[in-house]
Amino acid sequence: MLWHNFKYTLEKLFKNRALIFWTFAFPIILGTFFDMAFSDIEKNERLEVFDIAVVEKSGYEGSDYLKSAFEELSAEGENQLFNTHFTDEDEAKRMLENDEIVGVVTLQETLKVTIKSSGIDETILKKVTEEIVSTSDMINVFVTENSQNGQWTIDNYEEFIERVVAEARELIETSDPKIEDISSKNMSYTMIEFYTLIAMACLYGAVLSMTAIDDVLANMSSRGKRVAVSPTPKWALVLTSALASYVASLVGVALLFLYTIFVLKVDYGTNLPLIVVLSLVGSLAGLSIGVAAASILKADENLKTGVILAISLGGCFFSGMMGITMKYVVDTNLPILNKINPANMITDGFYSLYYYETLDRFYFDLVSLLLFSGILLFASICVLRRQKYDSI
Amino acid sequence: MKKIIEVKNLTKEYRELKAVDRLNLDIYEGEILGLLGPNGSGKTTTINCILSLLKFKEGTIKIFGKEMNPNAYDIKRQIGVVFQDVAVFDELTVEENIDYFCGLYIKDKKEREQCIEDAIELVGLEDFKKFHPKKLSGGLLRRLNIACGIAHKPKVIFLDEPTVAVDPQSRNNILDGIETLREQGATIIYTTHYMEEVEILCDRVVIIDKGKILAEGTIDDLKEMASIEEKISVEVYDLDPKHLDTLKAFKNVDTLKYENNSLLIVYKKGKNNLIELTDFLKKEKIKYNAINMMRPTLNDVFLDLTGKELRD
Repeated sequence: MLWHNFKYTLEKLFKNRALIFWTFAFPIILGTFFDMAFSDIEKNERLEVFDIAVVEKSGYEGSDYLKSAFEELSAEGENQLFNTHFTDEDEAKRMLENDEIVGVVTLQETLKVTIKSSGIDETILKKVTEEIVSTSDMINVFVTENSQNGQWTIDNYEEFIERVVAEARELIETSDPKIEDISSKNMSYTMIEFYTLIAMACLYGAVLSMTAIDDVLANMSSRGKRVAVSPTPKWALVLTSALASYVASLVGVALLFLYTIFVLKVDYGTNLPLIVVLSLVGSLAGLSIGVAAASILKADENLKTGVILAISLGGCFFSGMMGITMKYVVDTNLPILNKINPANMITDGFYSLYYYETLDRFYFDLVSLLLFSGILLFASICVLRRQKYDSI
Repeated sequence: MKKIIEVKNLTKEYRELKAVDRLNLDIYEGEILGLLGPNGSGKTTTINCILSLLKFKEGTIKIFGKEMNPNAYDIKRQIGVVFQDVAVFDELTVEENIDYFCGLYIKDKKEREQCIEDAIELVGLEDFKKFHPKKLSGGLLRRLNIACGIAHKPKVIFLDEPTVAVDPQSRNNILDGIETLREQGATIIYTTHYMEEVEILCDRVVIIDKGKILAEGTIDDLKEMASIEEKISVEVYDLDPKHLDTLKAFKNVDTLKYENNSLLIVYKKGKNNLIELTDFLKKEKIKYNAINMMRPTLNDVFLDLTGKELRD
């Protein structure tokens, strides 16, 4: 009887087109839209290298570090920001007039930036120049103070800089190699969208479990009445129906993973076993929401579906589905909301697996999800223990 | 006869409303018991209490001599229920639906296959085995609903208004199927609004209203209980008020109605009312056409007992 109910429940769920659309197809469609929308945004937001001119005024006695900073930012590579032309004032003026460059940085007593128009490149040039000047000033103040204390003299100033740089490099190289592993090569802020998408798929499993459980409860459906008068124990019916819905939900999540990994080329990182564990527990949270909705909410199936979708989508929204800012806003202003939000627990679990060196935060999310599921399942079992009803 | 179901002092309340009021009911092996009553009379509630789906305030229910409860699986195994609402799965075919519900009773696949075949044959769905419920007409859907409830060959079958909103062909098929089930030895509890079905099928009838049994017995017993004996309708012309007054004064006449050349007289008692009426018409030289004499129906009995129509 256990296998009989499990098999047929699975069959019923997979043949229910509306359910399959919302739990299997909808997350995949949404993922495709995310990919189309956000991958373009990312590409568009990548900074283009633009031309500038740096002019050293005659008589300028300032630090060479300003000049070398522009040289650094013009070096070919990932961090190249400018294509810098070190030239004289007239040539720079001509280039600016002919729109060959975005702006001119003149190294003189007071550093000067000349631009012809306003725009993103011009703003970047101004901001970067301000930053260089500000950092340069800080170093000068620091060195001046230390030299006054007798610790440093202007003679060994360069030696000081070299030592600081060398120490910093050594620190980076000798530290845990994981730091390099989690570096920006895989990082993309659009990842949070896909994490929330996986969370949504996990929680949408609630619709499957609610449907499956409703069908075996006498007070919820006429089919449930018919099942309830059979000699198959209620616990067996509920358990096998819940298990079947869990399996169906996992199939949906697995399909979403496969689609995003192989079609959309989303990189979820390398810790596959923990990703699987988080997906299993996330789907368990979905299952528990569905079981609770089926057993505790005395309403028709459409209303229950509405409640589940509201919880799932609302949860995903607050955990950053429509922009990571929302997650920060909630974390800052109403942290309790995200502490009890299963979508956030799943999203945060993936996030921490991907971006954090240690697994503390991941395990915290995992345990939170288990607790969340445990509480809902316990409450549901208390209600499900009833065998007779006041009214049906 | 052997008592299969024994209900004693069953009382079920929904807050202020007494849905079933100290109801006593015995159902015997092999009979078809008709449970008659208007909407909200407590028929379905009584069945749900017997099936241990509903909590009840007081009373005892025994089936096969054992106390019925939700965990009485040995009793449940021998019960089949066809609820008023069609309870099947749209995602499964006719055959799969029957197999699913039958599988909750019978584990053995081969035994089940035979049961499914028999059930499909009983309700005449042989040509629709692979159809999904959405492709079936209302009548065929009702037949599937019945097949799902009886495929496991139960000894006791509850049929809660199984012919509501079905076409005449399906109704006949369903009624034939129920007769077959009785011939196979099943005890059937049949609730309906339709008196003609009760008159065709039921060995015994229980009339229930406001959760109370108003009357019970065979159909003839119940008809005997009615305060009316017979009804005579005559197609007659040119009756004037004087004639009507004379007729009203006849000894056994209860009520009299004359509309559109149709005279309907309801008699309280007596068996020679027709002779008296025809003698009067001849004597007064009143022309008449068709004469119909009717015995009281269950609806008349019901009307008499409750003051309302069965289908109210």
